[in-house]
Amino acid sequence: MREYFKYLLPIVIPLVVLLLPASAFPVEGLTILQQRVIALFLLAALCWVLEPIPIYATSVVIIVLELLLLSDKGIALFRSGAGSPEFGELLSSSSIMATFASPIIMLFLGGFFLAMAATKYRLDVNLARVLLKPFGSNPKYVMFGLMLITAIFSMFMSNTATTAMMLSILAPVIVLFGKDDPGKTAFALSIPVAANIGGIGTPIGTPPNAIALKYLVGENAIGFGEWMAFGVPFVAILLVFAWVLMCAMFPAKQDKIELSIKGKFLKTPKAIIVYVTFAATILLWLMGSSHGMNSYVVAMIPVAVFSATGIINKEDLKKISWEVLWLVSGGIALGLALDQTGLAKLMVNSIPFDNFSPFVVLGGAAALCLLMANFMSHTATANLLMPIMAALGMSMSSLVPFGGGVTLILVVTFAASLGMSLPISTPPNALAHATGNVESSQMAKVGVIIGVVGVLMSFIMVWILNLVNFI
Amino acid sequence: MEKINIICVDDQREVLSAVSKDLSALSDLFQIEECESADEALELMDELDAEGQHIALVISDHVMPGKTGVELLTEISDDNRFAKTKKILLTGQATHQDTIAAINRARIESYFEKPWKADVLLATARTLITEYIFDQGLDYQPWSEQLDNAVVLSRLH
Repeated sequence: MREYFKYLLPIVIPLVVLLLPASAFPVEGLTILQQRVIALFLLAALCWVLEPIPIYATSVVIIVLELLLLSDKGIALFRSGAGSPEFGELLSSSSIMATFASPIIMLFLGGFFLAMAATKYRLDVNLARVLLKPFGSNPKYVMFGLMLITAIFSMFMSNTATTAMMLSILAPVIVLFGKDDPGKTAFALSIPVAANIGGIGTPIGTPPNAIALKYLVGENAIGFGEWMAFGVPFVAILLVFAWVLMCAMFPAKQDKIELSIKGKFLKTPKAIIVYVTFAATILLWLMGSSHGMNSYVVAMIPVAVFSATGIINKEDLKKISWEVLWLVSGGIALGLALDQTGLAKLMVNSIPFDNFSPFVVLGGAAALCLLMANFMSHTATANLLMPIMAALGMSMSSLVPFGGGVTLILVVTFAASLGMSLPISTPPNALAHATGNVESSQMAKVGVIIGVVGVLMSFIMVWILNLVNFI
Repeated sequence: MEKINIICVDDQREVLSAVSKDLSALSDLFQIEECESADEALELMDELDAEGQHIALVISDHVMPGKTGVELLTEISDDNRFAKTKKILLTGQATHQDTIAAINRARIESYFEKPWKADVLLATARTLITEYIFDQGLDYQPWSEQLDNAVVLSRLH
């Protein structure tokens, strides 16, 4: 019976909400469209938590349901009351469809092209080989080298792909450890931890960052370089902390470790195009808007270059993680519906948040996000929380001395990446757990400590950013 | 156009020439390379790969001085760079254990016993090269006259 709950709840609860009379809600002036958005939001939340269908499928369902129930080109039956104040304003169908090609999606597509080209022309493995050399053969330092490289790569590649690559480099080394050597655990666990932390460093590092950018618009806009200016130091400090923690918890008994990675840098014309385009794109991103292009426009350059030169061919195109793009699109569409129907504002206004201490709100939001991110997809967590946080941040005047909405969004975004205490928390964790060298309890200890410390650090970070008048 | 190579490995010159001759129909569109030892083959593959060329097929003898054919093909199949390269073992002297290793560890696509039939070897080479081209996501059209049409049709479907 419990098996059926995950299918029943996401259907029954939104349906009940949909069929209730408007007076059943403890909010003044709820429109019919807003009531439908509540039902949709519950559907999304339940589907993303219970996962009766894949999480990207939930996103697509949300977009289609929005088109059917909320848009100006939806089913006629559901548009019959249009125009009256108690019905609410219909959403434009083209703006709902446009979430599939939102600038945020394009930014990620550009990131995917860069990562794919780098992998195809072995830039990633070759860089790892060269960068690991200075770290010698002392297990402690080799581990730090691995973590550093994993973190740097995961700023530009997906956390999962980076983890997969580094674990495969690591596999022949881990075998050499003695049967009861805790070093095995430290090495296997260091990779997903570094990948999760590293993703925080850039807007394209992990989808929650890009979702946050969606809500940081106008005077709150944060450029690619600006994000890295605070993201990278944050990653660096937390990475060192994680390294010290894991060295102390799982000290390696072996005193020497040799990594061997075969291969050499490719020097073919195509490979050189990949190197140059990669470097140029990152440089343009770091230059901010001094050249007039924003990061979304810059992201399209590698897409064109790699397609035109055949570096990414049609077979490679099929391998792009379209489901990640769809997952984010669904989140954007949900945010759009919450915002355009005025539901987000209405909900936030009807709860007297202004009476709460801003610390309670910030701490509560971060804790909620961290908790959710441990049990469900980081991206889905951000999809659900970010539109609400954006509305909350805008309306809470008591937050202004602490940086306003930006503070709230950044803290929540960072917390979304810090959920890493279970094998199910993130795909990188699952990969490391599958190597058989990490037990769930060990992962939980390390994950909880890093999660809590990371969230506390993010508070210090926004406090500093506020001090220097950045936000 | 991308360059696609076929590598033949055998320590006996005359066998090597015979294999090349049987595949000569393919030589207009593909480069056929001859190597007399496993190490020579690995070195050549490393070079070709560094130049951005493709290695579609390796046809190797088993009993050779130095590395055996099964060892060579196992190394190739473990190498990420050659993950899609197709492998044929062509031998008269492989033991039962060697054959098991060739399938389980070297993951060969095809096994030929000496003496072999020229037309069957050529047809198998065509099929495997066609599969390689599709696996790599290359445009098959420049090579279409030498490809296995049945594979082309099933892959385009």
